[in-house]
Amino acid sequence: MIEADHLSKTYGSTLAVEDVTFSVEAGEILGFLGPNGAGKTTTMRILAGYLPASRGTARIAGFDVHENSMAVRQNIGYLPESPPLYPDMTVEGFLWFVARLKGVAAGDRASRVAAAIERCNLEEKRDVLIRKLSKGFRQRVGIAQALVHDPPVIILDEPTVGLDPRQIIDVRNLIKSLAGDHTIILSTHILPEVSMTCSRVAIINKGRVVATDSPDHLMAGLRGGQGYEVEIAGDMAAVEPMLQQLPEVRSIEALSESGGDLAEGHRRLRVMTQGDRDPGQAIAATIVGSGVGLYEMRRIRLSLEEVFLELTTQEADADPPMDKAATASDATAAPPEPVAENDTNGTHHSSDQEES
Amino acid sequence: MQILWSNLIAIYRRELQSYFASPFFYAIAAIFWLLSGFFFVVILLGPDGVIAQVSLRDQAGITEPPIDVPYQFQGIFLNLIGSLSLFLLPMLSMGLYTEERKRGTLELLATSPVTNWVVAMGKLLGVVTFFFTMTLPLLVYEVVAFSASNPPASYQVLLLGHVGLILMAASVLSLGMFISSLTDSTILAAVLTFALTLLLWVTDLIANSLAGPIADALGNFSLIQHYNDLIRGQFNTSSIVLFCSYIVLGILLTAQSIEAFRHQRS
Repeated sequence: MIEADHLSKTYGSTLAVEDVTFSVEAGEILGFLGPNGAGKTTTMRILAGYLPASRGTARIAGFDVHENSMAVRQNIGYLPESPPLYPDMTVEGFLWFVARLKGVAAGDRASRVAAAIERCNLEEKRDVLIRKLSKGFRQRVGIAQALVHDPPVIILDEPTVGLDPRQIIDVRNLIKSLAGDHTIILSTHILPEVSMTCSRVAIINKGRVVATDSPDHLMAGLRGGQGYEVEIAGDMAAVEPMLQQLPEVRSIEALSESGGDLAEGHRRLRVMTQGDRDPGQAIAATIVGSGVGLYEMRRIRLSLEEVFLELTTQEADADPPMDKAATASDATAAPPEPVAENDTNGTHHSSDQEES
Repeated sequence: MQILWSNLIAIYRRELQSYFASPFFYAIAAIFWLLSGFFFVVILLGPDGVIAQVSLRDQAGITEPPIDVPYQFQGIFLNLIGSLSLFLLPMLSMGLYTEERKRGTLELLATSPVTNWVVAMGKLLGVVTFFFTMTLPLLVYEVVAFSASNPPASYQVLLLGHVGLILMAASVLSLGMFISSLTDSTILAAVLTFALTLLLWVTDLIANSLAGPIADALGNFSLIQHYNDLIRGQFNTSSIVLFCSYIVLGILLTAQSIEAFRHQRS
C-alpha cells in the first residue's frame, strides 16, 4: 500500500533523509520511530506528496507520489506535524471545508463529517471556534481532518503530541481501531506508542532507517537482546571465568548496585546471552557448581527503549548485527503480531514515560 | 471539472467566511466607508464641490457648454476612490498566503486533491468579493443622488466606472496575492504590495510627464490610466484585456510560487 524506495532528500547541502526504503502492507500500522531531527517529518512529507524527494520514489496505493500526485492526494489523509487548522472556523465548519476540498460527494458530506466528529470525540466542541480550543482538542480536530474523507492511507506525523495521558490513550485506541480498513503510517519519538499501536516499526536515525521489524522481534532479535540477571553470594572472581566459557554467554557485567537491598556479600550480575539456545540451565548449573550461592535468577529482555538507544546512539559499532537482524526478519517475513500482544512490554514503561 | 468547481467553491466560501468574520477587515471597510462618504459629500456638496461650481457658472450667466453634473462628479469621485483603494488593497491581500504559510494550512491545501491555481483563483474571488461589498454603498449613494438629476444620469457610465474600480482592484489584489505567497511575513507582504501600488502610481505620473514611445508604452501598462478611461465612460477593449492580463498573471505567478516554495523549502 505504501512503498518507499531509496528515498533521499537534501536541503541544500544537508542530508535530511538518506536511502530510506520500507513498505507497508494494506491494513498495517507502521510506526516510524526516531529521535527529533532524524528525518521523520521529511519522510512523512515526501509520502504525503508535500515535498518532492531528491532521489528515489514513493508509491501510495500504486500511484507515484510525485508523478501521479492528484491520485495520491485523493487516497491519503495527512496530519502534518502541526495540525493545519483555520482558527476562525468552527470545528464542524472546518471539517465540512476539508470534506469539500477532498472531493467527498455532496450527499456523503454530512455523514462523513458526523462520523469524523464522533470518532475523534469532538461532539461537545462541534460549534466552537478552533481558535478557542485547547491544544489537545486541536490535535483531535487535526486527526478528524485526516479521516473525514475516509482515505485508504493515513499518514500521521506525531499524532499524540500535546495530548494529556487520557487523550493519548483515546488517540491510540482510535488509531488501532482504524487498522484493517486503513493503512496507517505514524511517526513518533515516544517508544511505548510504537509497541502499543503498531504492528511494525521502522527505526530511523540521522536520516537512515536502521531497522524495520515488529516490535517484539526488535526487542528479542537484536544483539544483546536477552540475558539473565543473577544475584550471587560469594566470590565473583571464581564464577565469572566459568560462565565466560559457556558458548552462549556473550558478556558478563557486574551491576554496581550499592543500594541497601542487597545483603552483605551479595552481588548482582547481568549475563547477556546470544544465539538461539537458552542457556539458563547451564548458567544456573555453573554458578551452583562453582560453589557460589545463587539467590536470585531472573530472565531479562531489553526493552524497546534500550534497543532504541542502542540503535541510535552506538550506531557505528552496532551496525553489522543490526543489519543482520533486519534482513533475518525480512526473510522470515513474520506475520504482523496481533497488536494486543505488544502491550505486555509497552504498558509498564508507558506510564512513567508519559508522566516524565 | 465538477471537482475543480466544487474545490473552487470550497476555497471561495472559506475565504469569504474569514473576511466577514474578522474585525480587522471590518475596520478596513469602516475606514473606507468613512473616507469615501466624506469625499462624496465634499465633492458633490462642498463649497468647491461640483454643484457649487455649476451654480457659480449659472450666476455668472455661463450656460454653454452645459455641465453634466453626475458625469463630472463621477470622474473626480472615482478617481479619489481609486487612490484610496491603492492604500487599502495591500491590507486586504497581505494575509492571503502568508497566513496559510504561518498556520501550516498550506500543507493541507498542498496535500488535498486541488490544484494551486484553483486555490489562488478561489482566494482572489473571495477577496474581490469582499472589496465589491465595500464599494456597494458608494454605488447606492450615487444612484440615490443622481436619481434626482435632470436630465437623467447615464447609469451605463456609472456602472462602467464601478466595473473599472473592481477590475483595477482585482489586478492589484492579484499581484498582491502573488507577493503574499512569497513570504511568511504579513507586514512584509503589505509593505511590498504597497510599494508595488506606489510604483504603478509613479509609472502613471512618468507616463503623463513624458512624451514619445516610452511614455506610450508605460501608459499602456498603467493601471491608473486605464482606470481613468473607464471611469470617464470610455469603454476600451484594451483596458479590459490589460486588467484581465494582470489578474491572470497574478494567479499564475502565485500558483508557480507555491509550487516552487514546496520544492525548495527547508
